[in-house]
Amino acid sequence: MYVEPKDGRVGALCPSANHPVSTGRLCIKGWNLTGSVMGADRLRTPLVRKQGSLEPVSWQEAISFTTEALKRVLSDAGPAGVGVIGSAKTTNEECYSLVKLARAVIGTPNVDGACRFYDACVIPGLLETTRIPASSADIGSVAGAGSLLIVGSGLPEELAHIGSRVEDAARAGCKVVAADPRTSRLAPHVSLFLHPKPGTDLVWLRALLRTIISRRLHVESAPEMPGFEELRNSLADGEMSRLAETCGIDPDALVEAAEMLGKNPPVVVMFGLGVMQQAESTRIAQALADVAMLLGGSVMPLRGQNNAQGSCDMGLAHDFLPGYERLADADARTKWESVWNCKLPEGPGVSAVEMIRSCRSGELKALMVFGENIALSAPNTEESLAALDKVEFLVVSDLYLTETARLADVVFPACSFLEKDGTFTNIERRVQRVRKVFDPVGESKSDLEIIADLASALGRDVSREPAAVMGEIASNVAQYKNVSYEALDEDWGKPWPADGVKERLAPIPSGESKDTGEYPFRLVASRAHYHYQTGTMTARSTVLAREYPEPWAELNESDAEELRLRPGSMITIKSKSGSMTRRMMLSDAVPRGCVHVPVFFGGDSPNALGDYTCDPASGVPVYKGLAVDVGAEK
Amino acid sequence: MTMGDARILLKSSATMFFASLAPEMRLIGPKRHFGGDVIFGEVESSKEIAWDYGHDGYPPKRFLLPHYEDMFRYKTGADPQIQDVSDAPKQAIIGIRSCDVKAIRFQEKFFSSQIADPYYKARSDNTVLFSLVCNEPPKKECFCICCDSGPYLDSDFDVQLTDLGDRFLYEVGSEKGSKATEPGEYLLQDAGPNDFARRRGIELGADSRFETASYIAKAINFISNDEVPEKVWEELGSTCFRCAACTNLCPVCTCFTVDDHHECDGAFTRCRSWDSCQFSGFTREGSGHNPRPTFGSRVQRRFYHKASYQYIMRDGTHGCVGCGRCISGCLTHLGLPDVIKRIRRGMHEYLEPTGEVKSDAYSSKT
Repeated sequence: MYVEPKDGRVGALCPSANHPVSTGRLCIKGWNLTGSVMGADRLRTPLVRKQGSLEPVSWQEAISFTTEALKRVLSDAGPAGVGVIGSAKTTNEECYSLVKLARAVIGTPNVDGACRFYDACVIPGLLETTRIPASSADIGSVAGAGSLLIVGSGLPEELAHIGSRVEDAARAGCKVVAADPRTSRLAPHVSLFLHPKPGTDLVWLRALLRTIISRRLHVESAPEMPGFEELRNSLADGEMSRLAETCGIDPDALVEAAEMLGKNPPVVVMFGLGVMQQAESTRIAQALADVAMLLGGSVMPLRGQNNAQGSCDMGLAHDFLPGYERLADADARTKWESVWNCKLPEGPGVSAVEMIRSCRSGELKALMVFGENIALSAPNTEESLAALDKVEFLVVSDLYLTETARLADVVFPACSFLEKDGTFTNIERRVQRVRKVFDPVGESKSDLEIIADLASALGRDVSREPAAVMGEIASNVAQYKNVSYEALDEDWGKPWPADGVKERLAPIPSGESKDTGEYPFRLVASRAHYHYQTGTMTARSTVLAREYPEPWAELNESDAEELRLRPGSMITIKSKSGSMTRRMMLSDAVPRGCVHVPVFFGGDSPNALGDYTCDPASGVPVYKGLAVDVGAEK
Repeated sequence: MTMGDARILLKSSATMFFASLAPEMRLIGPKRHFGGDVIFGEVESSKEIAWDYGHDGYPPKRFLLPHYEDMFRYKTGADPQIQDVSDAPKQAIIGIRSCDVKAIRFQEKFFSSQIADPYYKARSDNTVLFSLVCNEPPKKECFCICCDSGPYLDSDFDVQLTDLGDRFLYEVGSEKGSKATEPGEYLLQDAGPNDFARRRGIELGADSRFETASYIAKAINFISNDEVPEKVWEELGSTCFRCAACTNLCPVCTCFTVDDHHECDGAFTRCRSWDSCQFSGFTREGSGHNPRPTFGSRVQRRFYHKASYQYIMRDGTHGCVGCGRCISGCLTHLGLPDVIKRIRRGMHEYLEPTGEVKSDAYSSKT
């Protein structure tokens, strides 16, 4: 994308015609980024809480106030009393430096990324199977696929460029199999749409795997693949009989799906947030990877944030070092101790969700949050807000005074991607440059500069030059060894290499059936087309914010009739952990027994309905398929 | 030179010729960026102009109707103030394609009729267009020939340049063009019969190389007579990815919105930016009622504006110049020619052979 500055603001913007992903096109949020990143209420100075209210201060005061507080916590509670949560929207250089600040300067094991709230299951899910914790397909290959399996994603709303490739593929005769409880806007391009009941994905995926194996739809070499026998044995307790009753899927339709995928190579299996935020997300990711590997295809996790991939590559995770080197691996620790000149603790710290809970319990004394509005992206909003209010010292770096920043003791004004240099890594592992277009708004600084200032005040030197940080990354992170700004300036960036790995099929034992208690409905949450994440940015765009004058929920007409709810009336949606009120619309895209709640903002996010239950393997909170009750507003 | 005159501008003199304009006005031309991307932008010298640029994705309409523009600043309170902050620099847009010239003429008419727009008018008055004939359609999506707006112009241009190899045929088409020629006129040479013959050969060659056809006359009939079944519009609306690139990139589209930016000093700046009829919020009324409540109805409205007699009567022409940007910029490649094809196909699918509408062709579902 090209952005032309005018008087320190965006004067014009357009897509790149020749960029291999954008190919002259932008999604609605790209076209309207100006309001999102240049909102009139951008933070212009650092803020420090004085007598209860946040007051503008100098950078020097904000940094020294922060480091003094951190030193107090370190001396009272030790490094483990500090937590650091980074963003999947900041640059690779910033993510890497934040990990370095946390692990090497502060010395805490508690460092994690915002992906924990969204798609962190991709890492354990794919590391155990394809061995590449990322997409093994590139975006361009989608258009040339013979068949596609798309699970739990509204591509036109969430990732329009990939949705566009799906449309290209469908136009060229590709068989598109989609699975989602709700009929998404992808429907006109889909050959076969499966509608599993929410929370039953593992059941139908086991049945699909079993069908592929029993009908020998897999590639000839599949039985020789490591893990084939274990996978087959793990599927022994035939799920086909439970399929219709448990998942609401006709077994014949499932067989048809398996045949479509098996007989139309090459296959690309894609999966989105719909299956990434469930109680068994990691196993679901592994099952989907198994489908792809059995069919000789590739797998593409549909991660929603611009640098979700890069932030994980940089080790912004409580259980990994940069480059997916494991903390438990003594050699890896020794290497990074030498690179960073520090001593690393052996065990993993706590995850982002656990950090919030530890704020509430008092175990965590200081929490530093860079570029993520965790007050809204964490589950159980009421509890999470209370936890952030309780923690002794909260530091937030953001563009705006978010719901999280309002609770902070120190707020750093960060600048947007238009005001700094760096790199982002996209879904297809493509490392790409972002270039500074104009000077930072007000006194705002890049997160990299803020991190460097903090490190310097704590007595360590962390580079504030993005190119130098990339040099350090390239020297130490295997996937980025050939990356340099000079090389990136020569073309559109390159996906980091993902060849030479030995895939392994993972066994997929059946999941545990969960008691949904007294609540008869299942929550289907989805992205609202015109908004991104918690709306911190997009809700500030006049055009985007205008599209949805108020939040709403959707019910099937039969359910609404049974509950005697009139369309347009206000309804209450209640879970174990919280409740929310929304205006109800009818939609035949929503199946019976489900309530569809698009993600909105403030206290109105469906995340408020989630508790702290997480997928045990990845620590991602369960937001999807929650048991809820629906009734007229009381 | 006066209107209707044609001379020769040698390519070797082009830099000097346009330099003669530079003291008077800023020069804008197609510039080559990273990876071969071409975007019109300000140039120091015409040396920077990529004369062989083919096509550009971002219409030069933005130099008259900026994507984002500040109109005025105001302060409220005891001492209310208002200050015009708009700018309308003198400018020459060099190398602009015929279709974009036609689009600007359309916009000039639109912004001067009914309620005249002083911001647009000031820019338009200060702009001279040096258009460049397409020796061949620059991309496969081009269909200007179906819209009477290219690949070369018989009228409506200020100055038209035809690339004849080592020289341009330089034609003056307006008073503005004539005046802009004066500073560098001494560099122009007389054109000979060979030059005109070569120009004609180029025009005929370009005419014969279009790959995309748009049957706009048929669409005008169907749309004007309200004969397109609602289901066709609904289908078009359901496949759309709702990015609004079609209206942003359309050199003819004029829709804009305004909002007030609260500045640090307490003043407000009234800003205008491109908007789109494809947004629900664009037509939603204060009561909450929306006359175009569905995506299908908004797609329908857009094509009514593009191709109904009602608007053709008002605007003097249909609202499409065939630049093809709505195809190349669309996430589902659904440009105007495809919409017309879908309308034609839909007419067959949803109409009985007698011409009666099938009972299920009109449905209110979206």
